[in-house]
Amino acid sequence: MNTNLKISNVTKIYPGCIANDNVSLEFNSGKIYALLGENGAGKSTLVKILSGVVIPDEGKIYLNKNILKLNSPSDAKKNDIGMVFQHFNLFETLSVFENLIIDSDEQRENLKEKIDTIMKKYNFSVDLDVPVLNLSAGQKQKVEIIRCLIRSPKVLIMDEPTSVLTEQETSELFLSLKKFSEEGILIIYITHKLKEVMQLCDEVAVMRRGKLVSVSQINNENIESLANKMVGQDLKTIKKKKENTSSEQLIKITNLNFTSEDPFETNLVDINFSLNRGECLGIAGISGNGQSELFQVLSGEIISNKNSIEFNKNFIGDLNPQERREYLMAFSPEDRLEQAAIPQMAIFENVALNNFKSSNFFNNGLINESKIKEHSKKIISEFNVNTDNIDLKSQFLSGGNLQKLIIGRELITSPDLLICFNPTWGLDVGAINYIHETLIKINEQNKSIILISTDTDELLKLSDKISVIHRGKLSKIMNAEDVTSEKLGILMGGGN
Amino acid sequence: MIKIVKRDQPSKAIFFFTPVLAIFLTLIAGGIIFYILGFKPFEALKFFFIVPIADKYGFSELLLKATPLCLIAIGLSFCFKSNNWNIGAEGQLTFGAIVSGGVALLFYDQEGFYILPIVILAGAIGGMIYASIPAILKTYFNTNEILVSLMLVYVSKLILDYLVVGPWSNPEGFNFPETRQFSDSARLPLLFEGLRIHAGIFLALAAVVISWFVFYKTYLGFQMKVSGFSLKTAKYAGYKGKKMIILVFLISGACAGLAGVGEITGPIGQLHREVSPDYGFTAIIVAFLGRLHPVGIIFASLVVAITYLGAETAQIFMQIPKYTGQVFQGMILFFLLASDYLLFFKFKFIGSKK
Repeated sequence: MNTNLKISNVTKIYPGCIANDNVSLEFNSGKIYALLGENGAGKSTLVKILSGVVIPDEGKIYLNKNILKLNSPSDAKKNDIGMVFQHFNLFETLSVFENLIIDSDEQRENLKEKIDTIMKKYNFSVDLDVPVLNLSAGQKQKVEIIRCLIRSPKVLIMDEPTSVLTEQETSELFLSLKKFSEEGILIIYITHKLKEVMQLCDEVAVMRRGKLVSVSQINNENIESLANKMVGQDLKTIKKKKENTSSEQLIKITNLNFTSEDPFETNLVDINFSLNRGECLGIAGISGNGQSELFQVLSGEIISNKNSIEFNKNFIGDLNPQERREYLMAFSPEDRLEQAAIPQMAIFENVALNNFKSSNFFNNGLINESKIKEHSKKIISEFNVNTDNIDLKSQFLSGGNLQKLIIGRELITSPDLLICFNPTWGLDVGAINYIHETLIKINEQNKSIILISTDTDELLKLSDKISVIHRGKLSKIMNAEDVTSEKLGILMGGGN
Repeated sequence: MIKIVKRDQPSKAIFFFTPVLAIFLTLIAGGIIFYILGFKPFEALKFFFIVPIADKYGFSELLLKATPLCLIAIGLSFCFKSNNWNIGAEGQLTFGAIVSGGVALLFYDQEGFYILPIVILAGAIGGMIYASIPAILKTYFNTNEILVSLMLVYVSKLILDYLVVGPWSNPEGFNFPETRQFSDSARLPLLFEGLRIHAGIFLALAAVVISWFVFYKTYLGFQMKVSGFSLKTAKYAGYKGKKMIILVFLISGACAGLAGVGEITGPIGQLHREVSPDYGFTAIIVAFLGRLHPVGIIFASLVVAITYLGAETAQIFMQIPKYTGQVFQGMILFFLLASDYLLFFKFKFIGSKK
């Protein structure tokens, strides 16, 4: 049975921005469609319209030539449109089975049978009786997908599904999606990751600033062409100049160990490495292998043995982040919204989070607001943060602008070492480029970087040396020229 | 058609409007309850909210009740703003009263200007000591401060019970569970002849001013704000989390202890079993009704103080049990939490199209 979904002249206007400007698209089952665009390009709005969360101002949606009235998410369900959101909508403390049956009127036994069939058919292995909070992100996503499949949907929409998945989980997901597609489910895949589009999809629609820019067969496209369509300008390909880096050692980690009391954290075992001025050390790995713990140990959120970290000839293992900053270290954590910045606070207040003695943000325990504001303005102009209102709450900055603010805040004091963890996670191509250029620039100024990242391409592009973290252990440090992504992949999986 | 839409950003106005809405809804619900009980709603509400403060004496009583509520709520807002859930202010108040009462009893037959300051200081220190227990257990042993501080309330009440019945009971008191009367030098001066309002109100006002300054002008206030939003960020910024937890608990304990001093050296004049009609618990409602803002807390403490007075008036004139006061306090909190929904969502009226 063929499914045809048609979006016809859909427009949605929010105060101050046109989220969807006269968008028309047609989808047919048997293919996997990519909806590609930067953050804020209007993909999410379009998807919300299809799932009944948002009602369009104008335009119509047809399913198999019939007009669809989508006034609420339940209308979408009734019309066999299934949706897996980027953020999971699961009850953490309920069991997997309870989560699956919670919004269904069918009999428990019937559902049990149905779920078993689905799991067998697609080779899903999830324990139905454990509470959802014990599942990994990949398994949680499977639960969401099964919940859609129970209703035997005609259309399945996936909103940036891989942002929380490991590489392995991602390839598993792709296999399942291809299988669904073969069985006649129409799949719409929303993403801004170009590589995934090339791997998975048959047709790609690119959106930019609320408008549909192009619809094309994947065979006629490559990563560069898609990137250019998405950003709307030709991207400079940035390359790191290979210069003779100095041989002056900046930081040396010796026999660093961390044993966590929390069973969900990873222990760090015998970490040893050193880094010279002007170098970038990339640390690769599948997420959850101790990156977060390593970052915290390096930043001082977790305090370790004094002698385990030697920085600029000082032993600083027992200092907290603020004290380490005084020795000219800077940190950019992975989680922008919950750690690196506070969305509910103004931009200038977020700037004050990186507080040096010499910055004079706080004199004798009092807030020196004019000093902080002056400093904030400098950051905003030097690091191209797209606003001129430093009283704005930082939640109104886009991900890219917020990251520029954070990196700017950390770099404006010209530290000797920047430690960053997934600095371009979830950003659009334009912002990623900017951040990459900035990181290269500080290397050229003879400053060092430790880049912990799960993005292999990024690591290969920026690093001089690369190591892989696996189950809390670092591999030996390799020169970046001798490393290929295949080799990294093997090490990341625990091979040799 | 009415639609509920998510707000982009809660506006300042709505932030202070919802407490007013909560009070309004409480009045309506209260009226309905009175009606069901067989009273005329408007008359009952009048006895509850207007009659008690209609004269000079009533107004003095209002300030008398609002003083400890305000003082404790200010202290609590230091904790609540920084993500520390001290709900044992009642215990800190009681222990402050015990320590300061003990000191006052040492001087029961003496006069001197130096006595009152020592007694007040003793109360603050007592409250701080008692608040330091949950703080230290939290920072060094990872205990839950909600449970510890709450349970310590009952411990302090039992200690007080033991003292006033046993070792500290008045030797000339015919075995009544109370201590001797304090000497006049240990009493807070009255502000007006014939009214019970005493100098403790200045302590509360000083706390308001100081807390405003700390919250909005100091590095400590900034650190508290950051910790309140995200402990992860506070750690990343390198704030000394343990130090701050202990500090805010000490401030909060000192305020509660001072409220205890105010009660026993003000209207009561001795220690007995009931030094506080649950001011420490009610102040939690005051702190949130006042939005953890010093000025908001002043208004909130006045509103909640009326429920204490109203309950007494209603009992006397209408034979309504005085526990109705607690019903009203509960309703205020209930409606406040409910109307906080409006902080994040708004109603949108959509006319039918075409």
